[in-house]
Amino acid sequence: MREDELHELAAGYALGTLEGEDLARFEARLRGGDAAARHALRQFEETLARLAAEAAEPPPPAVKVALMGRIAAGSPARQGDGARVVPLAARPRRSVWTTVLAGAMAAGIAAIAVGMAVSSRYERRLEVLGQEAATLKAELERQSAVLAILRDPATQIVALNGLEPSPTARARMLWHEKAGGLLVAAGLPPAPAGKAYQLWAIAGKHAPVPAGVFKVDQHGTGSLRVTPLAGVSRVDVFAVTLEPEAGVPAPTGPMYLAGKSA
Amino acid sequence: MREPQTASVAADLIAAIARGDRAAFERFYDAYSPLAFGLIRRILRDPEAAKEVLQEVFWQVWQEAAAYDPSRGSGEAWLVMRARTRAIDKLRSIRRREQTFVAPADGRVAAAPETRRDDPALAAEDRGLAESALGQLPGPQRQAIELAFLEGLTQTEIAARLGEPLGTVKTRIRLGLERLRAAFKVDNP
Repeated sequence: MREDELHELAAGYALGTLEGEDLARFEARLRGGDAAARHALRQFEETLARLAAEAAEPPPPAVKVALMGRIAAGSPARQGDGARVVPLAARPRRSVWTTVLAGAMAAGIAAIAVGMAVSSRYERRLEVLGQEAATLKAELERQSAVLAILRDPATQIVALNGLEPSPTARARMLWHEKAGGLLVAAGLPPAPAGKAYQLWAIAGKHAPVPAGVFKVDQHGTGSLRVTPLAGVSRVDVFAVTLEPEAGVPAPTGPMYLAGKSA
Repeated sequence: MREPQTASVAADLIAAIARGDRAAFERFYDAYSPLAFGLIRRILRDPEAAKEVLQEVFWQVWQEAAAYDPSRGSGEAWLVMRARTRAIDKLRSIRRREQTFVAPADGRVAAAPETRRDDPALAAEDRGLAESALGQLPGPQRQAIELAFLEGLTQTEIAARLGEPLGTVKTRIRLGLERLRAAFKVDNP
């Protein structure tokens, strides 16, 4: 094999672009202990690591707190996707005031957690507090994000009114094209087992875009944080339907809430 | 930014992590999480998704440190490759969801983000890499590498996207990476 060809395969392998026969050929070389192939691959991987280093960016502290809590808890390794990630943003179900207060407490609890880290005697308590701090800190971050959305004049505020199945239900949708949004709903009947409410964003004559599923508590209130929807900017209508709890790609169930943006 | 630590520091920490040393894990996280996070953020624009992927990558480091073989490459490269794979997996799952949910007939809606990314100059600037070594490459090479490294496209997909023959794309990727390798003076035994 020419050197150019080997380098082409190694570059493609490092970047993850190889497929089919090219991939099989290069993997066979690696398995066979081909020194030239390994050398070329290693150099390209180091190159990509340097490239990544140019864009280094410190992560938010909540990730470390969550990770250290998870390690301290000694979570056993599990196979399967998704299940292993400790959610950084659990869905808020409390009133705004409770959440704000809880958020304010997060800093305090985090400080306690840090203090205890120096003493291994308190390790057990640290595990609990570390996880609690991670949850609260994540909530505080989410609250800050919501406040940022509220402060931005580009944010749309849409009132959703109850429809036939639940005429007294009400909801407010805060929507910002780049930051995403927040739906707060009240007066909805609790979803039957296996079902959940699903939010839809509709722009003009386009098909409704699913924006997430949520449930309500026994008082009929619920909320949903919506991440920015790819390809969706201005939204004309927000609607909520009752769907299977995993969510569906296009609405199938009865519509409970709908509202047009101004 | 500060000078990257020497490869042996990362490798030594990973070896300690493999023995279950939490303090080593914490030092490794403190030193190298910005390396992984910067890349993940440039692949995934959603900050929540980026945080999730970062946590998952380092959880894997904690679980699978024993699989690291220093003879195959530096600890940094090992981490970066894991971060990139996880982030691209996430990006692809987000794309699959978008493709399912946005009707193909809705051309304007579906195509908008891609069109924006097709301009390599815009894309590089947008991702804060315009000033980096990547920004110094000739446009077509930079574009091919970005589509691969940051968008997770295969070489066939890149060729289709750019409307170029597959051979041309392979050559551009090779030439681009070779130039970057020279620029970074990567030369290990």
